Order: sequence, then structure tokens, then C-alpha cells
Amino acid sequence: MMPTPRRDVFARLTRRAGAVAAICLFVAVVLARTAAAESPTPVVPTPTPSPAASAGASLGPSASLAPIATAAPVTTPSGSPGPTLPPVPKPIVHPSDASSNTCYDCHSAVNATQAQISSQWSDSVHGKNGVGCADCHGGDPRSTSMSVAMSPQAGFIGKPSKAVSVGVCGSCHSDAARMAQYQLATDEYAKYATSVHGQLLAAGDSRVAACIDCHGSHDIKKASDPTAAVYPLNVPKLCSSCHSNTQLMQPYGIPTDQYAIYSQSVHGQDLLQKADLRAPTCASCHGSHDAKPPKSSDVVDVCGKCHTATQALYEKSRHSTLDVGPKCWTCHGTHDVQPTSEDRLFHPTPPTVNCTICHDPVTNTFRLKTEQFATDADRRCDTCHHSASAEYAQASGIRDALVKASATYDTADAKLQQAAALGMIVTDADVALTEARTDLIQARAAVHTTQLTDVATLTDAAVAKAGEADAFADSKLSESTFRREAMVAVVIVIALNVFVLLAVRRRIHRDDHAAEGEAPVA
Amino acid sequence: MAGRDEVLGATTAPHSAVGAKPADTWLERRTGLGALSGALLHVRIPIESRTWYLGGLTLFLFGLQIATGTLLALYYKPTPDGAYDSVKFITSGVTFGWLIRSIHHWGANLMIICMVLHVVRIFWQGAYKHRREVLWLVGAGLLVVTIGFGFTGYLLPWDQRAFWATTVGTEIAGSVPVVGDSLLNLLRGGADVTEATLSRFFGMHVLVLPLLLAALLAVHLTIVHHLGLANPKKAEPNGPEPGGKLKPFFPNYVLDEVIAWYAVLAILVILASVLPAGLEDKANALETPPHIKPEWYFLFLYELLKMVPRLVGIVLPGIALGVLALLPFLDRNPEVRPRKRPIALGIGLLTLAAIAVLTVMGAG
Repeated sequence: MMPTPRRDVFARLTRRAGAVAAICLFVAVVLARTAAAESPTPVVPTPTPSPAASAGASLGPSASLAPIATAAPVTTPSGSPGPTLPPVPKPIVHPSDASSNTCYDCHSAVNATQAQISSQWSDSVHGKNGVGCADCHGGDPRSTSMSVAMSPQAGFIGKPSKAVSVGVCGSCHSDAARMAQYQLATDEYAKYATSVHGQLLAAGDSRVAACIDCHGSHDIKKASDPTAAVYPLNVPKLCSSCHSNTQLMQPYGIPTDQYAIYSQSVHGQDLLQKADLRAPTCASCHGSHDAKPPKSSDVVDVCGKCHTATQALYEKSRHSTLDVGPKCWTCHGTHDVQPTSEDRLFHPTPPTVNCTICHDPVTNTFRLKTEQFATDADRRCDTCHHSASAEYAQASGIRDALVKASATYDTADAKLQQAAALGMIVTDADVALTEARTDLIQARAAVHTTQLTDVATLTDAAVAKAGEADAFADSKLSESTFRREAMVAVVIVIALNVFVLLAVRRRIHRDDHAAEGEAPVA
Repeated sequence: MAGRDEVLGATTAPHSAVGAKPADTWLERRTGLGALSGALLHVRIPIESRTWYLGGLTLFLFGLQIATGTLLALYYKPTPDGAYDSVKFITSGVTFGWLIRSIHHWGANLMIICMVLHVVRIFWQGAYKHRREVLWLVGAGLLVVTIGFGFTGYLLPWDQRAFWATTVGTEIAGSVPVVGDSLLNLLRGGADVTEATLSRFFGMHVLVLPLLLAALLAVHLTIVHHLGLANPKKAEPNGPEPGGKLKPFFPNYVLDEVIAWYAVLAILVILASVLPAGLEDKANALETPPHIKPEWYFLFLYELLKMVPRLVGIVLPGIALGVLALLPFLDRNPEVRPRKRPIALGIGLLTLAAIAVLTVMGAG
């Protein structure tokens, strides 16, 4: 039945009103969050026109919210409680004799696809630990009759939907008694329910990642298996299989360049290039089953999971006392964490700093504009502290102390390497150089306290130790020079001796030839 | 100088004393040393002899090793706790200790090089044939003892390189069929390279091997003196008379030899100054270095073991060493000129080429 013109107009008005309301809501959110202290990212993302760069892009104050939002951690809790996953269901009830698996017997012979699935299952951790087809699909694995084995009466549910599959997995993996033998955690289902993935799935979005998307379905492997997609070295690639997909991420307004950026970071380089399992994967910061962007208030704890000592130093600083003050990401970034250096404390040319950078001109409250720290080149002390400020002078003093200690250490190290290359044994300087290096590392870490006295105490110690190593290296270099000069002198003496002997030899040969001429030859 | 140009058929044998006129002095009447040195030095050798002074150089280097080794022993402590630190002290703390140690280090390498070249020279000139079979056998013993010097001395600094090279080296010995396990236990003084191994290697290096080498060397030189230098152009005659034109051993040959010694001494001084003997981290049985390799003269064996089954890699070099030692009894061709011995030289050159290739591969 065709709609009447009156209804058609009403419908158009309704749609326009809805669109206007949506735009108003969007603008309100943008304004509200720009005015907020830190970058706001909704935990459950709202659609934006298109994915954009998460970092490294030039972002103006009014640039798209999405890049800023994903470049910095979220400020708010997980948002209002939305739909949640149902309680953990009971495992599928099906007949079993604990040994038969007629499902496998038939399906492995159906066709190539079924044979491959059967093979994947038999090689999987489930297949090797007695978790059969019916445990996930239901049915009677004892019967050779399809109508019996795959009957609803036997609990057969066929291929579970993604939403159902989470419950199927959770039904066993939340069972502490059952998982105890494998020493596996049983909180994955509960954690997943709190994740962005789980919340969206509960809201009916089946595009999000569920258990099978990361662990596979029939070919499940242990997380400790290097060939598993969830093995730490493979995790970034696994996450990027969805999060680098512009089409898939488009409805969520999430940038898709995190993997590219991460892979160039110190973390990504260590994990992906050096296969260093100590380096963080996506899951290390975002969580795995409970994946979500870390909240701004959590960031220091998230980074501090690995950088424990640095976190303790940071918490001594003035920065840590500010609710909306600089956090780890403010200076180091998020996905694009770069190597640190004292040369990176200041811009090459001091930028223009005005009050509104840190203080809201209207409310006069302290806040940071996240877009100011969007790129690595902008994350400097003088981004906030102007050159006439006491904080700038303090930071400048820290930089100078570190530069001096670093230069002294580098000089001593280079000289010792030079002496070692000349064949000198320089291990006696190892202790002094190592101590200098330790002090220098600690001094660099002490930058997080923002206290010049803390840093200078350590840099002074580093300079003193490096000085000892430098003096030792000088003595070794001098000794090496002496050895070479003495060598030349000895070789000259040997050459003179040889010349004398050659002269004697020539004379003997001359005498021999002369005698030969006189003697009768037979 | 009359008589230096005596030729075949002359009454004076090449090894007999010529012109030896020991002075009738107080010392001579009591020691007879003048007559002895005259008998040793005033002999005549074939003018065609070409030794390239390799045997004499090996002797010179052995003398240097004895001298420098004695000085090193003044400070060296043969215990795991003391060895590394004492070597470090010798190198860094003792006046000219670095020079003594470096000359000992490079002298050992040059000694092996000179000895191998000496063997190659003798093989090339066929100087192992008739009448020189025993001389060759004793020489083969000297070769084995010299390599033993290198093997046992390598462990003494007790650094990572020394420890692990010895671990690999003794494992090779442990692969010898039938007696491998016993040999491994004998060398190491247990299942692993430990303090017992260091004690054994030190004892071998400074006591057993020097005495053995000195004894073999005395026999070797006595036989050389008895037989004289070989003529590379003529087969050894059955009788006592040599063939060809002769020249005095002293001063002509000795002078050339001393010049060669000076040249090698200069090379040693340069090597010791420019590339002094180093010292890695102290031996640590729990920290395996990334690239463990034996000393360069065992690299061919090390590479061979990687390419062929272990048994073959052990048995094959063993057979080769046996063939080398028994060469005078296997090669019955009396001809000494190289172009008349194509098969023997072909096999020899192929073996040398194989060793060279394996060594380069092992070093790579």
C-alpha cells in the first residue's frame, strides 16, 4: 500500500528533525569535549564520516574529533551501562559415550572443505583434549544416522551464531572445575562482557570480534603456540586484521592506521622486528578479552605495568598531582611511542606559548589541548612552559645536565672502544663505565620527577664515573701509541742487523766464487 | 776456503766435519765442546738444497716459545679462579707482559704454520723417501706434539673463547670410535671442561709436551745431521755419499737461516704490537657464546664434522694422519722430482686444497 502525501511529508519532517537533532547532538559533544581537560573518546564509538589518522597528522583545534580521540586515552568511564551479555550459559547437553565421534567419521569424508575442517579440529587443542564436535554443535556423536545425530532432540544446534558462540565458549571456559586441569583462567567471558567488543555484540552488532575471530573455531591453538594468531608476536597483526580495515571501521569512526604507527614505534620495533616478547602488544595496553581504550586516569597504571620504576618517579612529580595534567601519553604518545633523548625535551625553535594553551580563557581552569600533542615533534616541555617561566628554566637545567653526562659517557665509551680495537684490554674500565651508564639511565628516568636536583645528583655521579673510564681509556691509548712507536724502533734495529748479515753473506759468496774459480772442477 | 767446492766423489762426506780445528784450550781439553760444535757445524750440504729455512724457523719459534712460556709461567696460576686474572695481570700489569704473551700467542701460530709448510716442502721434494723414513716418522710425531701444544695452550687463559673452543675440541676427541668416551674423560678429567681439565692441560703444556718435543727434536736433528740435507733433484743414494755439488753448512746456510729468523722475529714484533693477544670475558659454563669455533688449525676438522656423519668425520682424518705418517712406506716410487710423481703430488695437492677450502668455510 502506497503512503499518502500527508504521511510522506510527516515522514520527511521527522527524518529532517532527526538529522538536525543528530547534528546538534554531535556538535554539542564536540564542544563539550573540546572544552574538557583531555581528549574524549566514547567507549562505544559513535559513527563519524570516515576514519582518519590517529597520530602524526596535522590537527587543528577544530579538527575531526576522531583523530584526537584515538590518539589519546579516553577520559570517561565506560559510559552508561548498555546492553550486556547474558549470564554464562550452561554447556550444551548432548548424549555421549565419551569415545565415539561419528560427526568426524562422516564429515571428514563429505568433501574437501569438510575434510579440512575435520583435520583442523583433530589438530587443534580441543581435538587433542577430548572436546568433540557435539560439545559446541550439540547432537549425538554416537549415532551414525544423520537424522538421529543431528536432531534437535539430541541437542543439535548447528552452526552457532556469533552471539551464541560466545556463550558456547564461555559455558566451558567459565567453569573453574573444568578449566583447572588446564590451568586456564575462567574470567574471559566476564571480561569480554565489559569490553567494547562484548558490549557492541550484546547490542546486536555481530561485526565485532568474538572468541572465534581471534582464536579460530575449529583450528584453536594454545596462546603459547607461536603459530597461534593470539601468540604475542602475532597479536598486532591479528588486531589489525579488523582495525586496519577502513570499510569495517568506518561505521565506528575509528582510525585504521594504528598498526602502521605502532609498527614504527619503539614497542612495535622491539616486538615485530626483534621478536622481543617483553615489548607490549595491543592487548598489553588495551586488554585482550576486555579490550577497550584505556581511560586517561588509568594510563599511568597501564604504562606502569612495565615501567614500574618510571611510574614511581612520575608520581613524585608536580605533573602527577594535577588531575588533568600531563600523563605518559602527553609526552610519549600512544601508539607512536618513540625513543627518548634529552635532545627531545625542547623544540629546536621555541614555539609561541600563550595562557590559553593550558588555561581555559573562560573558566580559567587548567586543561590541556590534546591536539597540541598529536605529533611526536610537539611533545616537548616548551609546548606548555614558556621560556621565561621557572619551569622552563628547571627543564632547561635538566636537559643541560643530561647532555653533559651523556656526552661524557659517549666520549669515554668511544675511547674505550678505540682502545679495544687497538687490541688493548679495557675490561678494567667496565665497572666505571657500567656505573656511569646506570647513573645516566637513572638520571634520564628521573626526568619524570621534573626535579633538577634529583636529575643533577645522578648526572654528576655519571660524569664522575665516566671521567674515570675516560682517564683509563686515555692511558690505554697512550700505551698503544708507545707500543707502535717501540715496534717501529725494534723493526728498524732488526732491519739494520739483517743488512749487516746480508753484507756478510755477500762477502762470503764473493769469496766462495773466487775460491771456486781457483779450484779445479771435476 | 779451499775444499768448499768439493764435488761428488770427494772423500769428505756431506755431514763430516770439515776444517774443524778445535783449539787446544783449557776449556776444550776439559769439555771437547769445540770438537762437538765443529762436528755439528762444519758439514757440507748439497748446493741444490732448498729448505726455505722452514725447519730452522720452526726450531727458532720453539726456542722463543720456551723462553716466553717460561716467563709467562712466572705469573700464571693454573686454577679457574686464578688463570683468567693472572693472564689479565700479565697482559695489563706486568712490564712488557703484553709483549711476552703476544709473542707467545703469535709464535704458537707461526710455529704451526712453519711446521705445516715444512711438511709440505718435504713432501714436494720427496725428502721422506729412502733412508729418511725414520726421520719422517719422527717429524710426524713432532707435528702431532706441536698441535697438542696449541690445543692445550688455548685453554690456559680461561676466557670464554678458550673454554668453549676446548669444549668443542674435546667433544671432537670424544667422538672417536670405541675409545671416544674414555678419551674425553682422560682429556677433561671428567664429563665437562672444569678445573681438572685446566690442570691437565697446564701439566701437558708445560711438562709433558715440552719434554716429548725436546726428545723428538733431538732425535730429529741427530738424524738430519747424520743424513744431511736432501737433494731435491736427485734420489737419495744407497751409499753414504751424496750426489751433486756441495756447499758449507756453516757459515753459508746458517747465515741465511739467521736472516730468516730475524725476518720472522720482525713479523712477530709487528703482530704482537699491532694485534696483541686479547682476552675475552672470563669462562662461564652457563653462558654459551653465539659462535663457538675451535682454533683455526682445527677449523677444517670442525667443518668436515658438520658435513659428514660424525663417525666419518673422525675416522677419515685419522686415516689421513696414518697415511701421512706411513707415507715413506706407502709411496715406494724412488723418484723425488715433482714432475715425475704426478699421482702422489696430485693426491697431496687435492688434500691440501680440501683442507684449505674446509678451513675457509669453517671460518666463514
